[in-house]
Amino acid sequence: MQLTETDNQTYFDKSKAREKTCSAWLKEQGKTVRKPILFAAMAGIVNGSGIIAQSAALAFIMQAIIIDKLSSASVITPVMALGAMFILRSFCVYLHQTWGFEAGAQVRETVRQQLFAKLRAIGPAGIKQRQSGELAAVTLEQVDALENYFSRYLPQQTIAGALPVIMIIVVMPVNWVAGLIFLLTGPLVPVFMALVGMGAASANRSQFLAMARMSGYFLDRLQGLETLKLFGQATSELANINKIADGFREKTMAVLRIAFLSSAILEFFSAVAVALVAVYAGLGLLGLIHFGPAQHISLSEALFVLLLAPEFFMPLRQLAINYHDRAAALGAADAILAILEQDADALDIGSACVSQSGQTSLIEYNNASKSYDKRQVLTDINLRIAAGEKIALAGESGAGKTTLLNLLLGFEAATGGQVLLNGLTINRERAAKAISWVGQNAYIFHGSIKDNIALADPDASEQSIINAAQAAGVTEFSAQLPEGLLTPIGERGYGLSGGQVQRIALARAFLKNASIVLLDEPTANLDAANKALLLDVIDQLFIDKTLIIATHDPLVINRMDRRIELQQGRLVS
Amino acid sequence: MKDLWFFLKLFKPHSGWLAAGAFLSLLTAFASIALLTLSGWFISSSAIAGLVAVDGNALVFNFMLPAAQIRALAISRTLGRYGERVVTHEATFRVLAGIRSWFFQQLVPLAPGRLPAMRSGDLLSRMTADIDALDALYLRLVAPAVVAAIGVTAVIVFLAFYSPLISLTTGIMLVIASVVLPWVFNRLGREGAEEIVVLAANFRIRQIDMMQGLADLIANQAYGRFSGFLEQFSNLMINTQRRNNRLSAISSAFTLLLSQIALLMALVLAAVSFKDGLLSGSDFALVVFCVIAAFELVMPLPQAMQMLAKTQKAASRIRQVADMPPTIKLGTATDCGFCQPFPPGEGWGEGGQRPTKALPASYDLQLNDVSFRYPDQQNFVLKNISLTIPQGSKIAIVGANGSGKTTLLHLLMRYYDPGQGSILLAGHNLKQFDVDELMTCFGVLSQRSQLFAASIKENLLIAKADSSTTELDTAIKAAGLENFIGYLPEGLDTWVGESGLKVSGGEARRIALARLYLKNAPVLILDEPTEGLDVETERDLFTALADFARDKTVIMVTHREAGLGLVDIVYGMERGVLRRL
Repeated sequence: MQLTETDNQTYFDKSKAREKTCSAWLKEQGKTVRKPILFAAMAGIVNGSGIIAQSAALAFIMQAIIIDKLSSASVITPVMALGAMFILRSFCVYLHQTWGFEAGAQVRETVRQQLFAKLRAIGPAGIKQRQSGELAAVTLEQVDALENYFSRYLPQQTIAGALPVIMIIVVMPVNWVAGLIFLLTGPLVPVFMALVGMGAASANRSQFLAMARMSGYFLDRLQGLETLKLFGQATSELANINKIADGFREKTMAVLRIAFLSSAILEFFSAVAVALVAVYAGLGLLGLIHFGPAQHISLSEALFVLLLAPEFFMPLRQLAINYHDRAAALGAADAILAILEQDADALDIGSACVSQSGQTSLIEYNNASKSYDKRQVLTDINLRIAAGEKIALAGESGAGKTTLLNLLLGFEAATGGQVLLNGLTINRERAAKAISWVGQNAYIFHGSIKDNIALADPDASEQSIINAAQAAGVTEFSAQLPEGLLTPIGERGYGLSGGQVQRIALARAFLKNASIVLLDEPTANLDAANKALLLDVIDQLFIDKTLIIATHDPLVINRMDRRIELQQGRLVS
Repeated sequence: MKDLWFFLKLFKPHSGWLAAGAFLSLLTAFASIALLTLSGWFISSSAIAGLVAVDGNALVFNFMLPAAQIRALAISRTLGRYGERVVTHEATFRVLAGIRSWFFQQLVPLAPGRLPAMRSGDLLSRMTADIDALDALYLRLVAPAVVAAIGVTAVIVFLAFYSPLISLTTGIMLVIASVVLPWVFNRLGREGAEEIVVLAANFRIRQIDMMQGLADLIANQAYGRFSGFLEQFSNLMINTQRRNNRLSAISSAFTLLLSQIALLMALVLAAVSFKDGLLSGSDFALVVFCVIAAFELVMPLPQAMQMLAKTQKAASRIRQVADMPPTIKLGTATDCGFCQPFPPGEGWGEGGQRPTKALPASYDLQLNDVSFRYPDQQNFVLKNISLTIPQGSKIAIVGANGSGKTTLLHLLMRYYDPGQGSILLAGHNLKQFDVDELMTCFGVLSQRSQLFAASIKENLLIAKADSSTTELDTAIKAAGLENFIGYLPEGLDTWVGESGLKVSGGEARRIALARLYLKNAPVLILDEPTEGLDVETERDLFTALADFARDKTVIMVTHREAGLGLVDIVYGMERGVLRRL
């Protein structure tokens, strides 16, 4: 099991195209937080301007003391100015960081909202393919990973564009040769920025991808460790892991060695600028150079340009460092977009109302079909159900019973025909209003039994919750729990038996008091005695409702008024 | 801290690279400071010498040497920075690879007993992320700290030659900025950081709750309420992060202010010394520029301090997992190259000899009064089970979810040892066999068919590394994969799994079936083999199995009726109790 060369290449290519999409999405998000980004950038620019002023003051003081030998009293004003600059700059640093944070925070807030809205739109059927732990990681960690792109990278981009220009403008009148050195060593800042961008981007991308690919491979093997052990391959796989890691290191380093050249160039120009300015100003001061303003250069001018020389490149170097944030944000955007781009069926809030010919039934399936890819699950279902009917939906497991109910609930969309509720096309909202549903594996949420019963109506009165609990037989076991109905119960109803979970779910459905009740295999996990008890409860609870029970249990079927049978996705009776 | 130290010890084999990286970082920092300092000195020396020259005296200042030195420093700073980046990254990749293989080795004895719990909790993917986080340990923590420590000392010593007082004040400021300030602000921010961990854990639990119960939420019109609640949680987290960020912003502002105060003090002290004739004019500039440049050394440290807490947490989480005892008692493992010696006592008793009993010629399985409960649970999953499965017999166990069927299978394959009773293979206790040897008896088909990120062929070869082409073809045909593979342009070489071709559940199951053929083990363990498959595939699968299993022992667990034709005896399992149906 080894990664081949070509595979590696396609992986890199594929991710390049994907990166474009992600980068566009990030830019889109950035538009909504222009203001804080701008403020953060402004704070950075003011800070940079402070450096200019501070350098000037410092140069002036040194000239005054070393050359002009002025008294201490005469440099008090520039020293005060220096102090003031220090405070201003510190304040700017604070503002830069806090404003930047706001930009990231706002984006994260809205992206989380978008994700939650999207997850609802995708619905239970669409979400089934993903692990809930993985989804939680996206809304939590991946969204957080966006922060630094907006709080640091984007403001720095503006700063790196503006500050070097300002510095050149200031230095030119003081000493145009130094200004020219700046201009030439940073060959027209935008060009330089592109260079930094490309180099840092490709360095980051390959490093990021190498890490991602290696940990992906590693995770893959860890998850399959059970299988590897089963086939006695665990130890030999270890050698593979090492080999892959080595191969990746070599390939990544080959890319990085070239990519780092761009930052080396930046470093080179920065160092050369300092050296050139120092040598030029120094020789000028010695009177050895007669080119440009060198002859009349003063120590303060020389020190001023020397102090600015390293600062000139600082914003660009910082931007190169922040490129890491961008790579992280791109990775996060990829995971987030994978959810946001997922197709949602139109059932979430679908609005088309259809009035059909003839009289209206409560529930109507007109030629409804459902298929997954090539597999036909339901074929041409025509079915009318009137209010108050008690129906058994019978059929072998796999015959399509649950899918039939899911169509009515709006969890899944029919691939052909239509499903109507009160003469209107079904959507999730309408279905949720009209229907109480207890699925095969009713879910119990973190919280008390009471919270779980009152899921549909959190404002239900104490008494009505107790009534529902009593009617569904929840009180029979909750009375033995330490805090009764207020006892906290956890994930998947930990600590409760299957029958107890069913009862809580029934109480939930009863309290909701919707006119239609759908129960999916309510007796599947129960033994005979519990089964009979539960069916009695169901009879009592939903005596005045339209009741549809999906089941293959003859005991249940016999109790119902009408029997609908599905065989391999077709109605047979 | 202990956890970090542990990982630092794992770094040892790569110490050459690590040291080279730190050395180059130091060299770069030195060149950078020296460049600015020397330039400042050169300019002011020139100015003073120039003044003298203008006055008519001879030029006595040798400008050639410092000018050349400045150029040399500029070059060495550039080369140093480049070399540093290449070497530190090389070192990091090597270290991470070492940690990964170490972790994999630690996990091998924990699989499969401990593995399912880790998988469901998404723990494994977090582990991988944690290991990746350890790259910060060297790159952002150790290397900058070493550079700062040596660099700061050098600067202090250097300044002391010119002015002990300036050396002292600058040294104090550097230490405050690099150690005291980050420490104080880390302490102040600790509460908030811990708060975030708690909030994030709650957020995760509630969101997992929300995703798993999505159908119930939508059907009960409660989704909006739950997601609104999560958004509130998110806002709480962001608010706490905002407070923390404010703290860190204040800390950065203070760091800057400190460097500036140091500069101001150096300036004033230098001026005083200059007036007193203790410091020459050019040394005045030298000292000031040196102080300005020196603060570059400590700039990465506040960030490193923040990293420290994060890396520490990652390190302790990795160690927690790696230190878990396996679920079964093993002898001394021989295939474990350079594992840590295991603590004596718990989990590693029984003489420390790896059992080497050769596999028997027959595969009769027998359970004698077996009871079992998971270590962290109170209730028994299996209660007093006695069962004999002679070689070649075919049985099925049916029962509801959670009744203990799968646990029984896992005990047979020795994922766990029974708490009470014994399990015998050909009359010998399972514990007498080598675990890996034992595994060769079993061919498993379960609802989880693990496909690796590799080609289909490689996925098949896992079962039998030296399979001939004919063997592969036979297995593919038998598993009904022929059409599927024939349809793929790259055939057997098609990449599947992560970032490869999406394979449907049915096809994945068929690949697992082909593996079963290749392994050709005498005992077939079928754990809900057709769960999640459509009726047609299910039928195909059982037809194929019926043929293959003719001369083999079959132990099948299911809660579906299909496939029961394959077996002779059906047992029912209810709440850990087994009875014949």
